[in-house]
Amino acid sequence: MKASRKDMLFFLTLTPFSISLLAILVIAILILISRSFEAFNAFGLSLFTSSIWDPEHSRYGLLAPIVGSITTSILATVTALVFSVPLAILLAEYVHDLVRDILSSIVELMSGVPTIIYAMWASMYLAPILKTYVMDPLSIYLSFIPIFSCKPITAFTIFTAGISIGISITPYVTAMIFESYESIPTTYREACLGIGATRYETVKVLLSLAKPAVIASIILGFARALGETTIAVTTIGNSMYLGSCIFSPGYTVSALIASQFGNAYLYRYAESVLYSSALVVLVVAIILSFIGLSLMSRWRRRVVV
Amino acid sequence: MYKWRKLKDRIFFAVILILSIIAITPVIHLIVVTLANGLSVIIRAGPSFFTSIPPAPTSKDVGGIAPSLVGSLMLTALALPITIVIALFSSIMVNEFPRNPLSIAVDVVAKSLASIPTIAVSMVVYLLVVVPMGTFSTLAGVVALTIVSLPYAYTYFSTYLRSIPETYREAAYSIAMSRWKTVTRVFLPIIRRGVLVTVLMTMARILGETAALLFTVGRYRIGVSTSILGPTDALPLLIFDYILTPYRNFQEIAWGAAALLLIAYLIIFIATKLAVRGVKL
Amino acid sequence: MYAVEMENVNVYIGNRHILKNISLKIPYNSVYVIMGPSGSGKTTILRVINRLIDVNRDARVEGTVKVLGFDALKKDPYELRRYIGMVFQTPNPFPHMTIYDNVAIAAKINGVAKNRKDLDAVVRWALEKAMLWDEVKDRLYDYPHQLSGGQKQRLCLARALAMKPKLLLLDEPTANIDPVNARKLEEAIVSLKDEITVIMVTHYPHQAARVADYVTIVYDGRIVEQGPANQIFLRPTTELAQKLLRGEI
Repeated sequence: MKASRKDMLFFLTLTPFSISLLAILVIAILILISRSFEAFNAFGLSLFTSSIWDPEHSRYGLLAPIVGSITTSILATVTALVFSVPLAILLAEYVHDLVRDILSSIVELMSGVPTIIYAMWASMYLAPILKTYVMDPLSIYLSFIPIFSCKPITAFTIFTAGISIGISITPYVTAMIFESYESIPTTYREACLGIGATRYETVKVLLSLAKPAVIASIILGFARALGETTIAVTTIGNSMYLGSCIFSPGYTVSALIASQFGNAYLYRYAESVLYSSALVVLVVAIILSFIGLSLMSRWRRRVVV
Repeated sequence: MYKWRKLKDRIFFAVILILSIIAITPVIHLIVVTLANGLSVIIRAGPSFFTSIPPAPTSKDVGGIAPSLVGSLMLTALALPITIVIALFSSIMVNEFPRNPLSIAVDVVAKSLASIPTIAVSMVVYLLVVVPMGTFSTLAGVVALTIVSLPYAYTYFSTYLRSIPETYREAAYSIAMSRWKTVTRVFLPIIRRGVLVTVLMTMARILGETAALLFTVGRYRIGVSTSILGPTDALPLLIFDYILTPYRNFQEIAWGAAALLLIAYLIIFIATKLAVRGVKL
Repeated sequence: MYAVEMENVNVYIGNRHILKNISLKIPYNSVYVIMGPSGSGKTTILRVINRLIDVNRDARVEGTVKVLGFDALKKDPYELRRYIGMVFQTPNPFPHMTIYDNVAIAAKINGVAKNRKDLDAVVRWALEKAMLWDEVKDRLYDYPHQLSGGQKQRLCLARALAMKPKLLLLDEPTANIDPVNARKLEEAIVSLKDEITVIMVTHYPHQAARVADYVTIVYDGRIVEQGPANQIFLRPTTELAQKLLRGEI
């Protein structure tokens, strides 16, 4: 069969746009990689195994912000999960018509609120509340647990950042879980109801069916939390701390970049170190989202026929 | 036995309900306090809030946000059309020629970069645009915002395009429409509300983006700049800088700017809701 | 001269062999019916004729296909389709266009009408031919979702006719509509054959008997029987054809 010349022409007129999309994104990655080399060469692996930020003496180690990124992202993901699973179930199972429209609109509304507004609200309102009602009591009564072992001196801690980012990604995770839950064919639900299961038992069965999708949502939520900058830098307290306690100020990689990149050109290696840290986050985020997306689509192909 | 199951059912519902309420409380509280704090500042400052520059840290004046407001409007006005055009045509290409290597590459790259930390974009554009030009600029901000929102707009467009049943392509081909006509006369009109939603959501995204602007637009607040090649400012950036300061009047300015940003977002959100009402295929 | 001539046509989709050595000749100005159980490849024959098979990227066609004197596999598919109308199994009027525009677009795209007056005339002619005019003449600017399934299908027929095709392909056009509408559609089809060659896929023997001049029976991608309609209906030679005509498969 012969393809049409018209198709060829159409294809060619579209190429400039797609090539520019591709070029912009690929160039971004390449630049990041090339800029990171200097730091990798100078510090090697110690860049990721030590924890120093000493531009005056050109000594750098990114362990603290990397651990901080991971810790806050775990906290954020757990927070998001605690809220989004119930919210998704409520939306899918218990509310209908107008109430459902309103509730799903609120979730949608939440997901689009600029993060800077979350950041502002979290630093002005959420942080003090968390300090008084969560961090202070936990550090007094549960201080034998290592992660609660230090007294929160300020309201801006790794814990605060984790919870704040968690709240901001909750709508995103909720939407994914809700969509997966809704896409489970109705026959499964009917099967559950047919054997006399209660709502709770039905939800339990359906949720276990959607487990891979929930895991994919967790991974994607984690990736999103990892890249979050604005909220992290305004709530984490920005200090080079490495330890087991989450009630102390810390850094995430993005927060480190946001607060140090402005003056980094003044010091040897500082820029390159920051580029390499951005590269690490970027690569991890891309890998995670790739895993999450393929898990999700594999699950869809299997369950939703 | 049945009683116990029934009770478990009730408890489960109660837990779900309580957690859900806690989950949506933050956003409601956030909207209320932002509007309350911000609007009171705006009202106190009067129209000059929109026309004057930010105050000195210790002055009694509330001052205004004119540089950031104009900057945000300019950045959005420039970045939005560029993003939409590139994303729309790319998604059309991927939808029409999905087996082509170029299409496959575009799809994979756009999807995996949807999760790119926006601060990394800011750093890259700093190198690509700011350093060669020797100055922060609106242009650099536009480039950064375009990179950030491209994967986002692309994903929206391709989801809508893929949702069109194949039968309409067949119908269009059967009356001898070319591929180009099929796209412009059939596909795009069918998803026109989706296109509108994408434009609006991308606009909201661009308006609210902070991290991509950190190292690109500069923080030009001593006057209103309309230069594309010179430094400028943006609302999110102003808020970001001012909430980290201890000065009372800076924080007030930040609340005012945040309220304005939130209102803009709420208007866009309501517009998208109106746009999707009554879609029928 | 034939409207369609196929010689040793083989179609593969991926590694499935869909059509096997199909050869057929369809005379001008006749109603040619293709019958067979579902999945036997009937629709694929139609989609080879107007190259809609190209939409399926895994499809491969071998052999020679002559349509209206053109070498169909070599001709630009968009050019080829100018002469061929098609009505699909499920009605698919364009949801974003009014009833009028749904018909008019086909005429406009193919240069059938030069001005508004011509266009009005073509739209009216097509809707009358499709036996829909009386039902929609007062609401030409409504949208098709307000029509019943059968009306939608006749609208699709009108759309196909408005391009003034030489060949009309009908893919089980009555499968998803009620009997009353189905009869109207059949009447419309028979009335067309003076001007147009009609190729129809169906699996209703009675429908085939009512409209067909020629019949081909397809099973598992092969032609098992073909000839003038009365010959096939009166003296089917294969057991398969007999079963099919009795409605057993």
